[in-house]
Amino acid sequence: MNVEEFVKAFGGRFPEAEVRVSENKQPHPKRRVWVEIDREKFHDAMKFIKELDPKAQFSIIIARDAGETLEAKYHMELFWEEGESLSLVIGTSVPKENPKLPTVTDVFPSALPYEREVQEFLGLFFDGIPDPRRLFLPDDFPEGVYPLRLDDTGIKPEMVKNAGHPYRIGGAKK
Amino acid sequence: MTGKLEYWVKVPVGPIHPALEEPEKFIITIDGERIINVDVKLGYNLRGIEWIAMRRNYIQILYLAERMCGICSFSHNHTYSRAVEEMAGIEVPERAEYIRVIVGELERIHSHLLNLGVVGHAIGYDTVLHLSWLARERVMDILEAMGGNRVNYAVNMIGGVRRDIEEKHVRAITDMIEYYREEVMPKIEEVFLYDPTVEARLRDSGVIPKRIAVEYSAQGPTARGSGVKKDVRYNERLGVYPDLGVKPITPKEFTGIVKGDVFDRMVVRVGEVWQSMELIERAIDQMPEGKIKAVPKDNALLFQLKKAEGEGIGRYEAPRGELIHYVMAEKGRDGPARWKMREPTFPNLFAIARALVGEQVADVPVAIASIDPCLSCTDRVAVVDANTGKKTVLTEKDLLKLSIEKTKDLNPKIRGKPEVVGIGCPRGDVL
Repeated sequence: MNVEEFVKAFGGRFPEAEVRVSENKQPHPKRRVWVEIDREKFHDAMKFIKELDPKAQFSIIIARDAGETLEAKYHMELFWEEGESLSLVIGTSVPKENPKLPTVTDVFPSALPYEREVQEFLGLFFDGIPDPRRLFLPDDFPEGVYPLRLDDTGIKPEMVKNAGHPYRIGGAKK
Repeated sequence: MTGKLEYWVKVPVGPIHPALEEPEKFIITIDGERIINVDVKLGYNLRGIEWIAMRRNYIQILYLAERMCGICSFSHNHTYSRAVEEMAGIEVPERAEYIRVIVGELERIHSHLLNLGVVGHAIGYDTVLHLSWLARERVMDILEAMGGNRVNYAVNMIGGVRRDIEEKHVRAITDMIEYYREEVMPKIEEVFLYDPTVEARLRDSGVIPKRIAVEYSAQGPTARGSGVKKDVRYNERLGVYPDLGVKPITPKEFTGIVKGDVFDRMVVRVGEVWQSMELIERAIDQMPEGKIKAVPKDNALLFQLKKAEGEGIGRYEAPRGELIHYVMAEKGRDGPARWKMREPTFPNLFAIARALVGEQVADVPVAIASIDPCLSCTDRVAVVDANTGKKTVLTEKDLLKLSIEKTKDLNPKIRGKPEVVGIGCPRGDVL
């Protein structure tokens, strides 16, 4: 399945999704499909991708603090068995008041470590995640601080100042 | 008490191994000799690079990216450059693309030679370690001559490369390839493809079935060793690689069968060293003359990037598998709004953690070494009895000893000593 066929199949199933195709300027230009979809339809879209290619490879979750909302983009590689593969980026966004997304670990088991990473770094939580423990941050890192957030819940300047043990020195005053 | 008494023992493996780049911890639950669960804990080397990058501009991040990993320093800033180029729509000169291929493949050779030696050491063949690391010095010398450094050679620039390849470099590379072809590779092949002890030791240990490799998105030689035919250079049609005829290498072309065990992963690595040498030779032949940078001046480049907006993804086949970088620009800002990267070891770790279930403890060092994150990332291993809470501490030495003893069962002539390679862990003796 090439890019056009995929855009047609995906657009037919999810007409409300925003689909665009980009092309870079390498000697052999590579085209990527970028999809934006609401979070209500997000899990269905991931299921649909898995149906299109049962061997889809899950690459990464890119989460970002975009001011009022939190964005999450998932990159996947599809149809890699047919030579040139299809590079797909599917994104969704959630409001900060209710930062919840459905987990996709039931569709792609390899998404689990990425979801754990996003939970601790951005405070974007996944409903139904089988293993919600921390992955990278130490166990005594303070609750409610998400290092990559750009608002009040991010890293505060006083934590950076005492860079050896930032959280312990800040927490000792309590 | 009647019936079988069942208790599980938890063995934490890790987190610190000073000789290799990534400290990680495997908490292994064992029932007798069988492993029944593996849990991975990461973050011992968390330096907050994404957070630091929020305060850097595009060109400064190039050097930050290079310092993420000591072995694939070229891969990281190459992939980052590709992501920025895609975002800003910069076209790279063709000569720069060929130089990127040459340096990238040189890096692959040195990374694979390192791993071949490490796996040899893990099973008690220290001669292999000394042979392959001695051979590796040759390619490190060439990288030093080209980039000025053995490790962080800073060859890439956004929109090209910083250093040209001259006639003397070409001569040195040709000599190196001849040296590898004539003297090194026959010995390496003799060890990893035809040696009966190595085959008996590495066959059927740490098996990752194809189904698990696909389901857990394993990457690079770990995936190709299980028969998953994917290679970003081939699937992505990256740069000038299609003109050089790159193909994913699976053990099928060498041994005829694919089992997905440690042996197959080593076969893939041996095959890729051959492939890299061919790619370098072809790239040197086909390399056109011309400029090497799209934008010669760095401040002009920064000005151009400041005006750019959009997002870009860079993908590259690093020695360990698919490396992916994402860059999102914000207009009027000289640094990216978001920069995110994923290293191939990340999915590979979870794939091997799943695959270790059902194996023996003695296979842990070699299985973990075979995905090339860390040789038995085990400066110390504490064995905790779940019932009594009694704690025995095994050092890396003890774990190596276990592994070597298993090799000795197969071939009593092996005389490998459980010595710690590199500087060793300073805490290892104290414990």
